[in-house]
Amino acid sequence: MVTTGLPRQAASTGTPAAPAGRRRRRPLTVPFLFLAPALVLLAVFFLWPAVTAVQLAFFSYDVVSAPQWVGLANFGQMMQDPRFWKALGNSGLFLVLMLPILVCVPLLLAVLVNMPLRGIKAFRVMYYLPVVTSMVVVAIAWNYVFHQRGVLNWLLTSLGLLDEPVQYLLEPGWALPALVLVESWKSMGYYMVIYLAGLQSIPRDLYEAAEVDGANAWQRLASITTPLLRPYVAVVLVLGAMDAMQVFTSVFVMTQGGPQDATMTLGYYIYDSAFRRFDVGYANAMGIVLWAILVVFSVVSYRTTRGRMVSA
Amino acid sequence: MWPARRIGLYGVLSLIAALFVLPFLILLSSSLKPATQPLHEFPPQPVPLPPVLDWFAEAWTKIDFPVYLWNSVLLEILTLPAYLLISAFAGYALACYDFRGRQLVFYLIVSTMFLPGEVMLVPRFLVVSQLGMVDTFAGVVLPGLMSAFGIFLARQAFEQLPRELFDAARIDGAGHWQTFWRVALPQVRPTLATLAIFGFINVWNNFIWPLVVLSSEDKYPLALGLAYLAGTFGDDQRSMAAGTVMAALPVVVFFIAMQRHFVEGLKGSVKG
Repeated sequence: MVTTGLPRQAASTGTPAAPAGRRRRRPLTVPFLFLAPALVLLAVFFLWPAVTAVQLAFFSYDVVSAPQWVGLANFGQMMQDPRFWKALGNSGLFLVLMLPILVCVPLLLAVLVNMPLRGIKAFRVMYYLPVVTSMVVVAIAWNYVFHQRGVLNWLLTSLGLLDEPVQYLLEPGWALPALVLVESWKSMGYYMVIYLAGLQSIPRDLYEAAEVDGANAWQRLASITTPLLRPYVAVVLVLGAMDAMQVFTSVFVMTQGGPQDATMTLGYYIYDSAFRRFDVGYANAMGIVLWAILVVFSVVSYRTTRGRMVSA
Repeated sequence: MWPARRIGLYGVLSLIAALFVLPFLILLSSSLKPATQPLHEFPPQPVPLPPVLDWFAEAWTKIDFPVYLWNSVLLEILTLPAYLLISAFAGYALACYDFRGRQLVFYLIVSTMFLPGEVMLVPRFLVVSQLGMVDTFAGVVLPGLMSAFGIFLARQAFEQLPRELFDAARIDGAGHWQTFWRVALPQVRPTLATLAIFGFINVWNNFIWPLVVLSSEDKYPLALGLAYLAGTFGDDQRSMAAGTVMAALPVVVFFIAMQRHFVEGLKGSVKG
């Protein structure tokens, strides 16, 4: 008999309607009937494309003529393509700049909105608002903030932090940090809620016991909150890295990869190669590289922080 | 808590809230400003004097706003019921039946989380084009109906149901389908509500996949229409703002009405 990790029906081989003892004639078909729609979709839209992706990586394909076997040429082309390296570097920059923000700031937000204050839920709602808003809407809204005579320039020049107003999205040095700001701003609320779940899963009496033992607030943070939150940090690390490596929509709406490829991310370059320049085989090979990076990063950060099961 | 500390905390909380809400307010104010008032100036003048609705009318008529809106609604109608049913079916089978290969199926479904949309963009598009679904709503909707997140959440909910429920159903002579439809499914309504809420938001905001699949402008949903609008309007920043406000409004209202479920739902999806 197959052993499963299920708490309740662990010992039964039948159906919920007919547990231990009584068996239906065909106990196997029924669960697979229930699973059929999901499995068909999984086969068609996940497995088939995955197989296609692996095959196509070794072909040159421009949609019009038949795919041509080119061996490892797509990967060779990548090595010699300065735009690929530029895009990879930019995605790396997004990762390096965004990940610390996404791991740390939402934790502070979560601690704040976990305070027992009247009306705290209203603050949670406001911090979460950008998460449910479309990235297109967010990007357009930030265009107004970033305007040459917009509120950000006004603020920074009046504080004396800038001498001259900056066209953030038109200057190579500013465009990528500006997009990092927009992307982080949009998803902070999401990670805040993950941390909030973590904070609320910590039993209150742990803190009470620590207080009785004379631990101050910092000691409680260091020896109770931090270690117990570790699995949640792992989750945020993995999901945040996935976010950072797949930046696309903000680039599409705000900069189109410019200026001078300063915001060309791997995701955008893949899109551009496949659907604007119809170099499908090449784009697909880059997709595989992106996938490999994501998987390696997820596994490494998961192992090191010993995270647990999550879905999102 | 000391009153001073409490006031300080509210101060910090409000300041942060301002950072999260301000870009939206700037958008709203830009959409209401009359032509005589500059959009951007030092120092900023956020209050429209007087507020006008002209740009909303302009955005509604000048581009095909109603068409985009209808497309978004249609995509929701095509997606949500099927998404809920497929997730519930699969979650139910995984939670309530014991069969050979169950673990395998479960891991197969979970592993799709390691195939994120952007990595799959090109090969999935090729599959959709082989199926002749390019520039159709079927091509937009179908790949999103199987979601590990949805199945996982449904499975968790069904696992919580007490054994006695199924015993009672058996005694009453309910078959497989009746047990699912009449007994189990009504019990997991809160989870279905959570799934519906997240599904609604995802469909409404989805951008990259419809962008790739759809080529005729008259099939664009709102998110795509807006990005297109950003191209056509160019300098007309007031109509642009008005169109963006109109596109965002349904989700914002829906979110505020349903906010309780969001935080609870997300928390339910993270297992410590």
